Amino acid sequence: MISQLGSAAVLLALMTCAIGAPLGYFAGASRSAAGLQWTRRMALAFALFMALATLLMEYALITHDFSVSYVASVGSLATPLHITIVSLWSSLEGSILFWGLVLGLFTAGVTLLQRRGHEDYLAYTLGTLFVIGLFFSFLIAGPANPFRPTPLPIPTDGPGPNPLLQNHILMIIHPPMLYLGYVGMSVPFAMAVAALLRGQLGASWLRPLRNWLLVPTSFLTLGIMLGGWWSYEVLGWGGYWAWDPVENASFLPWLTALAALHSAVVQQRRGTLKAWTVILVMVTFLLTILGTFLTRSGVVNSVHSFTQSPIGPLFLTFLGICLVASIILLSLRIDTLVSEPSEDAVVSREGAFLLNNLLLVTFTFTVLVGTIFPIIAEAVRGVKVSVGEPYFNRMAVPICLGLLFLIGIGPALPWGRADKRALQRALVWPLPAGIVGLGIALLAGARSWSVLLTAFLAGYALWVTLDQALRPARLRAKKGESASQALLQTFVRAPRRTGAYLVHLGFIATFVAIAISSTYKENLEATLAPGQSAALGGYNLTFKQLDIEQEPHLTAQKATIQIEHDGKDEGTLQPRFNHYPTQREPIGTPAVRTTLTHDLYLTVMNVGEDGRIGLRAIVTPAVVWVWLGVLIMVAGTVICLIPPRSVAVAEKARTAEANA
Amino acid sequence: MNRKVLIVGALIVTPLLIFLALSFGKDPRAIDSPLVGRTAPDFALRGLDGEMVRLADLRGKPVVINFWATWCQPCIAEHPVLQAGAKQYEGSVEFLGVIYQDEPEKIQDFIDRRGAWGPSLVDDAGTVAIAYGVYGAPETFFIDRNGVIVRKATGALHPSELASLLNGMLQSG
Amino acid sequence: MRSIYLTLVVVALSLAAPMPAAGQEAPLGAANWDLVGQPDGPPISGTELDLITEEVAGIMRCPVCQGLSIADSPTALAIAMKAEVKEMLSKGYSESQVLDYFEQSYGEFIRLEPKARGFNLFVWLAPLAVLLGGLLFLAARMRKPAAAVSESTSAKSSSEAELDTYRERVRREVAS
Repeated sequence: MISQLGSAAVLLALMTCAIGAPLGYFAGASRSAAGLQWTRRMALAFALFMALATLLMEYALITHDFSVSYVASVGSLATPLHITIVSLWSSLEGSILFWGLVLGLFTAGVTLLQRRGHEDYLAYTLGTLFVIGLFFSFLIAGPANPFRPTPLPIPTDGPGPNPLLQNHILMIIHPPMLYLGYVGMSVPFAMAVAALLRGQLGASWLRPLRNWLLVPTSFLTLGIMLGGWWSYEVLGWGGYWAWDPVENASFLPWLTALAALHSAVVQQRRGTLKAWTVILVMVTFLLTILGTFLTRSGVVNSVHSFTQSPIGPLFLTFLGICLVASIILLSLRIDTLVSEPSEDAVVSREGAFLLNNLLLVTFTFTVLVGTIFPIIAEAVRGVKVSVGEPYFNRMAVPICLGLLFLIGIGPALPWGRADKRALQRALVWPLPAGIVGLGIALLAGARSWSVLLTAFLAGYALWVTLDQALRPARLRAKKGESASQALLQTFVRAPRRTGAYLVHLGFIATFVAIAISSTYKENLEATLAPGQSAALGGYNLTFKQLDIEQEPHLTAQKATIQIEHDGKDEGTLQPRFNHYPTQREPIGTPAVRTTLTHDLYLTVMNVGEDGRIGLRAIVTPAVVWVWLGVLIMVAGTVICLIPPRSVAVAEKARTAEANA
Repeated sequence: MNRKVLIVGALIVTPLLIFLALSFGKDPRAIDSPLVGRTAPDFALRGLDGEMVRLADLRGKPVVINFWATWCQPCIAEHPVLQAGAKQYEGSVEFLGVIYQDEPEKIQDFIDRRGAWGPSLVDDAGTVAIAYGVYGAPETFFIDRNGVIVRKATGALHPSELASLLNGMLQSG
Repeated sequence: MRSIYLTLVVVALSLAAPMPAAGQEAPLGAANWDLVGQPDGPPISGTELDLITEEVAGIMRCPVCQGLSIADSPTALAIAMKAEVKEMLSKGYSESQVLDYFEQSYGEFIRLEPKARGFNLFVWLAPLAVLLGGLLFLAARMRKPAAAVSESTSAKSSSEAELDTYRERVRREVAS
């Protein structure tokens, strides 16, 4: 029953897309109000049908309806309820359905939130969203159909989701956040296409485009961080980013989205870089499709790899169509986006923005080439090569140092042309902060050139960021406002400014934390018998005992380790060694003790027959600041979405006038 | 029509799509062995029976080296194939088994129950497996009279595969 | 029974520590290490050995894992490989010799960074090319203002016209 209902809902969604796409383009071209109205209705219908399909699938999962093939492949009577609910996205077909749901929600969101103005833009936007929706509905209805009825005989139980996906709460929120970010990039793409079709990208359309780019960017930032955090807490190798192809797939659109956001700032201020903003927004979406292709086609070696499935070639075809269509559209229409002539000096804020975007694009290119190089090398040489962490780290460090440098000097530089003395003053003024940063690093014992350079640039950038962020408040205070009033007014009048500087602060914190945590990690591997101790980084670790815990889907050996830090007793940690009946090698779950200055990370590597354990201990300084720094970035991007007070005041005035 | 955009776009997109399309059908996890066609790495290992076996001593006869373990299902499946092969080619081909990540006690147990087809050599530190580029079990190396590896087989052996390879090695001088 | 237990302990110990165990002759891999010749440098030990082992293990890929290095991987194969790397380094073999040795049996796949030779140079040089190309492009673009200023009167008039229509719309909207 559910199978049929679910398939019907998906087919209806497919139909709304098939109707909505040509309708949207027609309404946009002919500026028909009735056409737009019907397109909006199709959009809401699309969202409704996708939501219905998702609810039906959740119902099937929760009631363990094994006659639905997806439930038969990931469901299990033994799985706890909250894991059953999220198993919607634990495997391929369900995750594509989830993609469809998110796309539907975004489409409806655009329809409902863009009520007034921009009618022709909106029709084109919805048209493009429907084209994307058409592809995904087709996938869900056909090749990747989770509602397919299970072939007889219908099983009475299922294997349950992958054990690695069951043991941590982060696994529950990481995929939805990532999807909201990834799928959400369709909206600014559709808006950029609308601008090209319309032949105009003015300030009025730029604002919603930028907002609809900010929303998925904040989700994507959070999603990537959660993935790294989960990897750290669960996988047991002590790291949080391995430059795995699927990690890279999520990282690439994030980089270009940042570049697009910066380009949009320049466009808003100076009217230039219109073409670049549009191109970067479109590339962001195209990278999400490329990333999904790499993840799901099985052509690259990855932790996340689904096996080679028939949808691989379909994704590649869709990617090809989108790429070709985008290039053709761009070459035909890009000259209609007239930008203001640029009279800016090289050493100006615009120059810094341009250089920033160049670095971000280079970074994107590097990560992309590194990720697909094994494919290229195999095609050209017939030999399998690996491109792994050492390569990416080597490339990423100089680029990120460059970005950190720009975060420092960019906001310090004035817009447009300025005289040499003003420039010198602006750039020299923050230098002492850089020297202080360098000094702190040297005092703390740092000798590595990259860490020292990071400390200097971070100090400089920190000073500039705080100085620029608080400058309006200082001016207000000088005019007589109290400090708190000044700060409040500064924020309320320009939340985007505050948000942006907050994001920069978060980036500085994250980058410094990454530099410290990766350079000063301390490692120890020891074989301990019960009662034996090992010492690492001020800690004394004593292996107390080994217990066995039996759970329905696994057998765990729990090792109790007594922790002493600088002589003080800090309790115990219990890393586990999990034996799953379905896996040959047991999987260790680490135990982590997190403090603001460092983490103590313990994993059991093996358990000997004689009761001795192989213990791996890692002390990583400052790693919690990686998560906190990114959270600050996310908060900043969210704050950027708050509309400034002056707009609200004008709205109020207008409605007051209208009512009067 | 902006030609620059069209050309740059085509230059980037065309090779990208071609390479991605070419990647289908290739398994990123299957790694070809660079050892095929080269001299087999020499080793000296002790079998469970205590006898020392040195590969170089066996030159002049084709050798089959099978890395196996009791925890691997395909190894258990190919066990009778190797037994039959060892019997059929007794005297003309040497069959050597190397224990891969397993305990000698378990191997001994298995042999006691199912029978052996050759010595089971103990590769303690795994150095021989590493020298042969082994990354799973079962893996079988076919070495000809001159000590050159002519073939590496991954996964359970089929009787026909075994026969054709061995006949081939025996016929060529 | 006891001898089997002893063998087991020996096996476990030799898996945990790369020392030649009793019951074996010379280190077995040694016969094959000369595939890469004699050690380039003097034997090393202690913390120096530990540090360089971590470094070399960090750029070698675990063949059975998803992109992890043998330094990070907990699998038995990775541990065995790391132990052999440590032994080779202790004899004085250099990093490139160790990598070459493992490449003999596992192929280029075992290196986490592609060797900077031949076609592989593409992955090392392409990013640099993009960066330099971009810088040249920006430099060329920023030098245009001299020409643009002279044409700016015509450009200005068209943007001025755009602004006017926009101003008109704003006036209309605010008035309504």
